[in-house]
Amino acid sequence: MRFKQYTMAAVAGLCVLTACQRDYNDPGTEYAPNMYVSIPYEPLTQVEENKLTPTGANVLPPVPGTISRRNYPTKYVDEYGNEYDLGLMVYRTHPDSIEVAEKTLKNPLPATKQVIAEGKVLYERFCQPCHGAKGQGDGPVGQKYKGVANIAAMKFNDGHIFHVITHGKGRMWPHASQLNPLERWKIVHYVHVLSGDLPESGIVPGQEEKASETQEGTAAEQSSDVAMAN
Amino acid sequence: MRLLNKPNRLMLTRICYASIFLIVMLFSSPAWAQEVAPQDNATQEVPGLDMSEATIAKGKELFVGRCQSCHAVTDEVVIGPGLKGVLERRELPWLLKWIRNSQALIQSGDPTAVQLYNEYNQTQMTSFLDLSDDDIKAILAYVKSAENQQQEAAADGAAQAEGGEAAQASGLNSSYLTAILVGLVIVLVLVLAVLLLIVSLLTRFLKNQDLPEEDLEVVNEKIDLTAPFRSKAFLTVVGVFFLLVVAKAGIDSLMDVGVQTGYAPTQPIAFSHKLHAGKYQIDCQYCHTGVRKGKSANIPSANICMNCHGEIKRGSPEIQKIYAAIEKNEPIKWVRVHNLQDFVYFNHAQHVQVGQIECQHCHGEIEKMEVVQQRSPLTMGWCIDCHRKTVVKAEGNDYYDRLLQFHKANAGKKPMTVEDIGGLECSKCHY
Repeated sequence: MRFKQYTMAAVAGLCVLTACQRDYNDPGTEYAPNMYVSIPYEPLTQVEENKLTPTGANVLPPVPGTISRRNYPTKYVDEYGNEYDLGLMVYRTHPDSIEVAEKTLKNPLPATKQVIAEGKVLYERFCQPCHGAKGQGDGPVGQKYKGVANIAAMKFNDGHIFHVITHGKGRMWPHASQLNPLERWKIVHYVHVLSGDLPESGIVPGQEEKASETQEGTAAEQSSDVAMAN
Repeated sequence: MRLLNKPNRLMLTRICYASIFLIVMLFSSPAWAQEVAPQDNATQEVPGLDMSEATIAKGKELFVGRCQSCHAVTDEVVIGPGLKGVLERRELPWLLKWIRNSQALIQSGDPTAVQLYNEYNQTQMTSFLDLSDDDIKAILAYVKSAENQQQEAAADGAAQAEGGEAAQASGLNSSYLTAILVGLVIVLVLVLAVLLLIVSLLTRFLKNQDLPEEDLEVVNEKIDLTAPFRSKAFLTVVGVFFLLVVAKAGIDSLMDVGVQTGYAPTQPIAFSHKLHAGKYQIDCQYCHTGVRKGKSANIPSANICMNCHGEIKRGSPEIQKIYAAIEKNEPIKWVRVHNLQDFVYFNHAQHVQVGQIECQHCHGEIEKMEVVQQRSPLTMGWCIDCHRKTVVKAEGNDYYDRLLQFHKANAGKKPMTVEDIGGLECSKCHY
């Protein structure tokens, strides 16, 4: 009889032990949690509600109109060693004034091979889901979203593309919070590659004028004058 | 001696019938699907439009390039109206004017144009001044041809609906295997039953015979099922096994302290990475904007959700939660899944941008997860193990040029791992 009892106890014990599966919502035991959690405020981690901020979150939105100056590029050096002064790239054109952007803005970056390659990477991360790999508006999201512009077929100019990325247009929403102005200008060059206005291999800076004369003609020259005046 | 009495014989016949039925099921052809006869596809002529194949092809190219983003060839409203039946609704000269410069037509006070403009929330249609009359006619020819194709497809659909039953029958094909397996199991059970029957019959038969003592013992022997369980050997094995399992469980639960592998908390909004990153192939960085720039990958703010959900799936209750959060200006309280201890420094940009490590290397197959789960243990052993194995991606990065030189001078051909550039030093991560 004793044997039987032992066996039963053993089997029951085994069942209990093997059945121990932690619940998905349970992070498990923590050793010394007071060392795990940050004492200073962390923007993306918090255990308790912050009593000092209006929303209770540690993270606060930036003050409107301010520019993050940390690691903010004001110069661009291309792969040939030429330096381009970008300034602060503050963009204040009103969302409704796309015509102004079309007339006044010109890409401050050179369309070198490296800029285009970087633009391509950014395009793939931020635009391709909707606009598709070739810009035809047939990306996996675009097919579901509907009303995505075929940017390969429409010959937009620099200012137009920059303005649309910044403020959105039609069904497209603004992407300014995800891309800083420098990144937007890189994408602008790559969009021109997709629409066939620029070669993917880029332009060597000395030969730039020749290419713009043949492809964009006088309009580009005019807008470059305005950009320089700014 | 009749081993098989009447009921048994009946059973055998039944088994025979069953097997014959099964064999017939197995070898009968499942090809019941009907062929649908192709419909006549005579294109309907429209006055003023050239419906040749070349024109339609040209029109299709133009439509895809210029119109498709706002118009569908069906009656579905995308941004502007669906173009199905547009040639019946409007006159051709009006269409030419409208497509080339809709704003001019509205300003001229054309009643149809003004009504249309107001009906679609005063959304301006892009002007296409560069399109010639022939271009626009080609586009309309394509729209018409697409319309004709739709009608044919609808006719085909009706024809297929008739053959619906046949299609369902061919769908049975896949469940065939299950049926066969079930059949086999039934046959095996029947065989077992027959064998047991034979044994009992034989035993009964032998009991009635005059047998020597030893043989009778064998015949009358009762099988004791509990005997093996009471043997010492069995109990020792169970005991040892029990102790081992207890020891394993004890050690495991101790090793599990502070390790949250498998943690998959329920989030306030049922966001699916499987759908967004998997099906729709949205890059991780689209939402986690900080991943290549800073320490934290960032949890996207609601405005990034709005990039798509300002327009689509607006009725979904989960997405309504985002709208509510925006309206009340309340943060969405996502539950953090990967809780790295505060005494460890980890930087996403270092690993993703410089180290070129895929997100999935540490986070697992995020693009297949409905609910995000922590897959890596995030223990120090795990970090160090990777730092020992991983070769630094030094090519094309000037920063590493001199380090590579020194490494080659000291270690020769051995590749430069993270360990070699100080990846195991305490103060790299603990400070």
